[in-house]
Amino acid sequence: MNALTDRDLILRARRGEVEPYGELVARHQTSVFNVCYRILHNRADAEDLAQETFIRALDRLHTFDLEREFSPWVRRVAANLCLNYLEAQKPSAELDEDRDEDKTQSPAEQVEVKERSAQIRMALASLPPQYRIVVELRHYQELSYDEIAVEMNIPLSDVKSHLFRARKLLAEKLHASD
Amino acid sequence: MHLTDNQLNEYLDNESAQRAEIETHLDSCAECAARLLALQTLFADLDSLPEAPLSKNLAARFAPRPSLPAQLPRWLTLTAVLQAAGALIALMIAVPFFSLMLPQVETPPFAIWLIEVQALWTSSLDALSNLALSFVEGYQFTNLPTYPVELSTLFIALAVVSIFWVFGNGLLLRNQTK
Ligand SMILES: [Zn+2]
Repeated sequence: MNALTDRDLILRARRGEVEPYGELVARHQTSVFNVCYRILHNRADAEDLAQETFIRALDRLHTFDLEREFSPWVRRVAANLCLNYLEAQKPSAELDEDRDEDKTQSPAEQVEVKERSAQIRMALASLPPQYRIVVELRHYQELSYDEIAVEMNIPLSDVKSHLFRARKLLAEKLHASD
Repeated sequence: MHLTDNQLNEYLDNESAQRAEIETHLDSCAECAARLLALQTLFADLDSLPEAPLSKNLAARFAPRPSLPAQLPRWLTLTAVLQAAGALIALMIAVPFFSLMLPQVETPPFAIWLIEVQALWTSSLDALSNLALSFVEGYQFTNLPTYPVELSTLFIALAVVSIFWVFGNGLLLRNQTK
């Protein structure tokens, strides 16, 4: 089964076979989970949304362009799901700024907070939902401004203003914690 | 005139149409070069974020379902056997009855054979009863079953068998839809 390409697996999954799709999920689940984890900053929510991503992706598999790579496509689906999730949570999220932060940190994890990666995750989590998605799509999924505008269905000018403000906020957070 | 934040961001994102002008200014302006470096440091920070491991296998949801057991449960097999036995008994009672009640219809050879079996069975019972009751003085055993039996008895027997049949098939169907 490892000799099969993603494309082979997708073709078989489209014919209704379950096992090839399971193999596809196994290949891409870590990167999809990390999209959700960077945006949501909460493990349990990120795992739920990653699972939901693969369910949605299976539903929309017939719309997938076989000439393209599966990974970028499924990671964009994940980012969109996370945005919808955050938008639905928005009112309470604004009332309680650190609601999204993982409260279930073990002592070992608390030590890691001092590490750079933990600081970066905290800084990302402090951004407004739309800013987080723009940073995710630009820095981790390497989409162009135009592609982000299409993906998020917002004007190009908003893509730029969200991204540049997000970077300013991130720089302030990370600089302050140095 | 220094470079704007937008110019620096677009330059680093490879989305700028004025690359040559920006580079000329950066070569001659330490302040703008420092701002560019700060932004590059942020990019590097974001790039350095490692992927977090998943704590559960999302592919498990898409594993093929175990196929239904080839054999029916023991109790269900027993039900089917009892149904068949019930149906056979009902047939044995009904066929001679109808062939006697409807003399104008030509009696099929199978029914004749069944009547003979029934007659043999009845006479055997007669013999047994006579043997057992020969010691009982003055008692005349006149109530041995003879055909045709009462119509109501037959219908009750058929109704009971039908109920068993419907119930048994209901169980079989319910098992299939699971
Ligand atoms: Zn300058």
